Formats: sequence, C-alpha cells, structure tokens
Amino acid sequence: MSTLTLSNIAVRYSGQPRPAVEGASLSVGQGEFVVLTGRSGCGKSTLLNAAAGLVVPEHGEVSVDGRPIEGPGADRAVVFQSDALFPWFSARDNVAFALRVRGIGERQRHALANELLRRVRLDGLGDKPVWEMSGGMRQRVGLARALAAEPDFLLMDEPLGALDALTRERMQTLLLDIWAPGNLGVLMVTHGIEEALLLGTRVVVMAPDPGRIALSFEAGFSRRYAAGEPVRSIKADPAFTTARAELADAIFEGEPA
Amino acid sequence: MTLLQAERGRRDLAEPERATVLWPRSDTPRRELSSRTISAITILAALLAWTLVTRLGLVAPLFLPPPQDVLAKFWTVASQGFIDATLAQHLLASLGRVLAALVAATLVGIPIGLAIGASRVGRGIFDPVLEFLRPIPPLAYLPLIIIWFGIGESAKVLVIAIAMVAPIALSTASGVRNVQQDRLSAARSLGATRRQVIRFVVLPSALPSILTGLRIALGAGWTTLVAAELVAATRGLGFMIQSAAQFLVTDVVVMGILVIAAVAFVLELGLRFVERRLVPWAGRD
Repeated sequence: MSTLTLSNIAVRYSGQPRPAVEGASLSVGQGEFVVLTGRSGCGKSTLLNAAAGLVVPEHGEVSVDGRPIEGPGADRAVVFQSDALFPWFSARDNVAFALRVRGIGERQRHALANELLRRVRLDGLGDKPVWEMSGGMRQRVGLARALAAEPDFLLMDEPLGALDALTRERMQTLLLDIWAPGNLGVLMVTHGIEEALLLGTRVVVMAPDPGRIALSFEAGFSRRYAAGEPVRSIKADPAFTTARAELADAIFEGEPA
Repeated sequence: MTLLQAERGRRDLAEPERATVLWPRSDTPRRELSSRTISAITILAALLAWTLVTRLGLVAPLFLPPPQDVLAKFWTVASQGFIDATLAQHLLASLGRVLAALVAATLVGIPIGLAIGASRVGRGIFDPVLEFLRPIPPLAYLPLIIIWFGIGESAKVLVIAIAMVAPIALSTASGVRNVQQDRLSAARSLGATRRQVIRFVVLPSALPSILTGLRIALGAGWTTLVAAELVAATRGLGFMIQSAAQFLVTDVVVMGILVIAAVAFVLELGLRFVERRLVPWAGRD
C-alpha cells in the first residue's frame, strides 16, 4: 500500500506577492478518499497540481512512499475540470492513448479501453467523437483515461464542477464505486460542501491569503456507502446534515459576511 | 455617424452568412437578403457593367475586350491552344508547380513551425529568418534564384515554395503555442514521452491552424506563379498571360486572369472540404 505525502509545501507563482500555498502538509494513502475544499483562491488546485508534479513547489517535498517524485507520472493520474480530452480521438482512442503510453499493443488496447469505458458506464460509446459528447460523458471518458494508467492515486481537480446537479449526483456515486474496492488513493478538489462530505474519508479545508490548510477531519459517510448503504439514506441521516452545516461554517470562517 | 456605427456597417458587409451575430439588430423582422445573394448580385452587376462599357464602345477592345470575346477565346485556347499549348496544358504546368511547391513548403514549413512553437532555441534560430523572408516580394529574390539555380523547373518551384514557407511555418507555430495547457498536462501525467506528446497532442492540436496556413500558402503560391513563370517558361498560365500581353492579345490576358482566379477558388473549396473532414472538432471544442 502506497502513500502520497506532501510535506510543508509552498508554491509561489511568479509575479505574485503572496504564495499561492504555504506550509501545507497532507498525505493520501491507498484506499483513502481525501477531499480538498475551501473558498475560491485558497490554493486547492495548486496543491493538487503540486501532488501531480505539474507545479514545482518553492519549498517542501512531494513523495510517494518516501521517494520524492520527479514531475508528473502515471502512478498519479489526473482528471481535469476542463476534462482535457483529445478531440481528435474517439472516446475509445482517448482511453487507449493512456494504454499506448504504457506500451500496450494495439489489439489489447482496444479490448482494455472498451472494458474501461464499461466501468465508467459508457458501454458501446467507444466510437463516438468526444466533441459530440455531453459534459458528464466527457468527464467519464477522462476518468476512464486516468484509470487506464493503472494509477495508485487518482488526482481530480473539480471534476464535477461544470456539470448540472443531476449529472453531478450520478457522477458522485460513480466515483464512489470506482474508489470503493480500496486499491486507489483519491485526492479531489471540490467546491461542493455536500460532495466533500459524501465522498471524503477525510475532508481538508483550506483558507486563502496565503493558501493554507485550516482544518482536516475524518468523515465516515463514504465508508458507509462502500459498506452498502444507499446515498439517499446517508444524506437523510441527521448526522450528515449537522456535519454539513459545520463544514460550511468552517469554510466561511473569517470571511466578512 | 459615430465610428462604431461606421465599423458596424462595414462589418455587416463583410460578414459571412453564418457569422456570429455580434450586434443583433432589433429591427422589425423585414425580409433581408442573405450575404450570399448580395454577392451574386455584385458579380452579376460587375458582368453587366463590363458588357455595357464594351458594347457601348466606351473602352476599346484592346484595353478591355467584351465578355463574349473572352469566352470565345476560352474555347479557342481550350481546344486549339495558345503558344504551342492548350489551356489544359498551361493549367497543368502551373498547377503542377504550385502543388509541388506546396508539398515542399509543407515538408519544410511544418517542422520549422514546430521548432518555433515548441522550443526556445528553434524560435531563436528561425524567427529572424522567417521575418526576413516574409516581406520580400518574389520578384525581388527571383534574380538571385536564377543566378543560383538557373532557369529550370526547380527554380520556378523554389520561387513559389519560398513564398509559401512563411505562412505555413507561422501558422504551425501559432497552433503549437496555443495547445491547451491542460491537454499537455494530461498527456504528461499519463507518462507520455516528449515524442508522444508532440505526435499525439501537439500536432493534432495545431492541425486546424496548419490547414489555415496551407490555405494562405496556396493563395501566396498563386500570387507568385506569374513571377515564377517570367523566366524561360514554355508553359503555364502565368507564361500564357505574359506572352499574350506582349502581343497585346488582351482577351487571352483577361481569360488567363479569370482562369487563375477560378482555379484558386476551387483549390480553396477543396482545402475547406479537407478541413471539415480532417478536423471536424475545430471550433467546437
């Protein structure tokens, strides 16, 4: 079981007086679902990009099982809010690209990509051009592409941010289903308070100016889902409602009303 | 009339039919002519004016032959030829040169554009070269090409190709520079090598821009054609026009100009078709 560790990360973008993130430490174990949340501009995405290796921190270190990372890598697959799909490829070829990069032969790629598309509930849509797909479908292709890398960690930057409410709920259960077997460590950025609580085994609240971790707590709702309890019954639990109000308070703490 | 209104009026004229409506008009829904219809009317009006001034004898046929003479000449040259070659032979000679130049310019221009767009060193090397070549009119470097490469076919193709390299390279470079950062990040985080990123992400991303560059290059190529055929050509539309001009056969000159325009138009349509087939996602993503 691997662990992704960020220790004392500081990131400063050139030309910015204040660091985007300062003194942030965090770890994600395989089987964990860590949610980063907080107000706009608090450095959530920056921290995630540092974990991905797409942003190089000014201070601090990102490591996997004690070994410092060297840039981006397939062990930490990324799902982007913009979906970042390749429109010149069909849905299947987008997924197969990740397999090709791993050196998997053409015939196997085809079958594996189909299997991955089935996992994200896009069965039989492999030939569809991605630019003809809806936002939810595209995000699922992006998810299948990330899974094709067979990562230990899945890093998702507001993957559901641009989706409508109904699609979003479906995607939440899909993400839970993918995480539930326990062999993936997930780090996800979201603005959604309810989403953070429902999905996270741990919720990390960040605060801005400079971006830092303000609060981190364990949440058990996603484990209850993994154990078989339906989402509706979890959301109806008064404990969920209370936790939701507390999380909202924590996120907006210190913000002038 | 304010400047903005003037600008608006100008844009309305230039706007293609399916253009984004920047300033929706709140007028009453009176029936409006489509810009395509207006274009057709413009062309007909020009033809009519041409017919009238020649019919009424306002301009001597030496300066402007009537349309029916030009049309008649078209058939004569097409069937019997002009200066030892039929129209089709002239056309094929020119088309061959322009297309050969296009292939050569593409093979050179795309790698250069890639280098400019993707690497600091590449930009440092090729940017000044292109900026030097781009504004020079083909007629200016033609003599040098003749001194260096003689008067053979390759010199003609080279003159046209030089005019084509810059638009292709610059469009490629701009396409490469505008690759979405997220797509590059996605490919890199999947573990793609630099080579794979260029082949599967950067080049396809830049393809719409490259195709635009090819279109501009074809235009530039036709523009250069006449200059290229100034020297020791025995066939070609440009050669045909020049020979005709020397003998004051104005109807052949006008016919040649119209044929060049028509061929350029057909090629443009062809490339647009290729664009729709090759990059249907462009602009929708």
